[in-house]
Amino acid sequence: MATIACKEFTDRLDSWMGGDLPSDAQAHLRNCRNCRSLIEDLKAICTEASSWRAEEIEVPLRIWASLQSHLEQEGLIHENRPADAAKTIWFGGWLAALPRPALAGAYLTLLIAGAFALSRPINKQTNEARWLAASEDSTLPLRAQLTAEQDSFASFNNANPAVAASLNKNLAIVDNYIALCEKSVQEEPQNEVARDYLYEAYQQKADLLAQMTERGENNR
Amino acid sequence: MSTTHFVRKQFIWTASWKPMAVIVPSLLFCSMLSADPQPPRRQEQHFKVEAHPVVTIHNPNGLITVKAWTKAEVMVISNRASDNVEVDAEQMGNRVDVSTHAASDNVAPDDMRADYQINVPEDAELQIHNDSGEVNVANVLGDMNVETVAAAVDLEDSAGYVTIKTVGGSFQCTRCAGKLEISSISGNLRLTDIHSYRVHAQTSTGNILFSGEFLPNGIYRLKNYSGVIEVRFSPADSFDLSATSLKGKVINEASLTPKSHQQHFYSRFGNSLFGTFNAGRAKVELTSFDGTINILKRD
Repeated sequence: MATIACKEFTDRLDSWMGGDLPSDAQAHLRNCRNCRSLIEDLKAICTEASSWRAEEIEVPLRIWASLQSHLEQEGLIHENRPADAAKTIWFGGWLAALPRPALAGAYLTLLIAGAFALSRPINKQTNEARWLAASEDSTLPLRAQLTAEQDSFASFNNANPAVAASLNKNLAIVDNYIALCEKSVQEEPQNEVARDYLYEAYQQKADLLAQMTERGENNR
Repeated sequence: MSTTHFVRKQFIWTASWKPMAVIVPSLLFCSMLSADPQPPRRQEQHFKVEAHPVVTIHNPNGLITVKAWTKAEVMVISNRASDNVEVDAEQMGNRVDVSTHAASDNVAPDDMRADYQINVPEDAELQIHNDSGEVNVANVLGDMNVETVAAAVDLEDSAGYVTIKTVGGSFQCTRCAGKLEISSISGNLRLTDIHSYRVHAQTSTGNILFSGEFLPNGIYRLKNYSGVIEVRFSPADSFDLSATSLKGKVINEASLTPKSHQQHFYSRFGNSLFGTFNAGRAKVELTSFDGTINILKRD
């Protein structure tokens, strides 16, 4: 295969950058250590440049404004453009300056943000309904069990009136506490504090009913 | 009436009275011997014990006073309200069980009462169940568990792992160290001059007062539904505070340094306060649903 000189090879670098390297240039690369080294260096520069793009920092608008005034002073861009045209150019410049993946990412982000913003009331309702359903799923069997337990002794009478009065009074307190917590959970299903208190109230009621049952049985 | 008839009649009377005079006192004497002797209502019993004895007390109603002493024995002085209740105190190894129970089926509520004065070694472990009345414990350094319904519990100078559970009875603890776990539904909880490294106090509608030292690495969790939670701190205390009242107020007199990291999830709801006082060595968590939380300077 015919080989080419180093000068010719460097002249054809444009085509290499485009991904197309002629066979004679490839043959030269295999034989020429200097040109191979040059290509290695160029590859390393490209890789490094790509990584810079990946973590690109957003340039503040004031930098762009300062750059614009410099370019205008140097006559590289025209000062008195019509406003719309200037905007178009600036927009075009911004688009050209931004790497394509960044643009796509930004667009996607905007799309998700927009979609989230539009669907937020619906999501909120869905989440609340989900929380409420989950809370009810876990509390309904518990509530039913507690009601059945409570119904099993219509009125609690202990031999000791002070004990009976205290247990009945505190059962009423816990029932009221449960009602208020349930109301809070209905109003704010995602409120962990209210749900935490509700579960505790159920636990207290179960504990209290167990004590009443035990004492009721002891009296029989 | 003939003389013969009179003599015969007199003989019959005399003959019938003579054995009666012997039988009746004998019967009375026998009945006294055979009847159960009623024990005195006040009883005193002593039990020799080794180190770390366990004392259990089950009483439906009455005043229970437990005090520590230096003797290696448990002394139980019981006082029954009536003869319809019985007191049992027995020793099983290094455990002394004391209990009150009805002597018959139908005992009036007022009769189902016994008061106890019990002395135990300092290192004794106590398990007390007293539905109503009062429980007072002083200077016992071992672990203890007290459960009541309406009885108030008063504890002084404890040092062990203390668990208290009441339904409506209040709890008061003065100069308590060690670890405290208290739960109640409507009882007020008053913790003063506390030197505990773990305090977990919870009541639904009662108030909670905490006045004591916040020890380094100590954890203090006070929680109620409604009512007031009041914490009194001194300028030398060092704690990390989180206080949340879902529907009530949080009033604070401590100069707190705001926390930089993410807060507990409770912060998203209700009125919350988070911050560090001095170096933040202890952890203080105050939570209420509808009550007021006061964080005040100690006098």
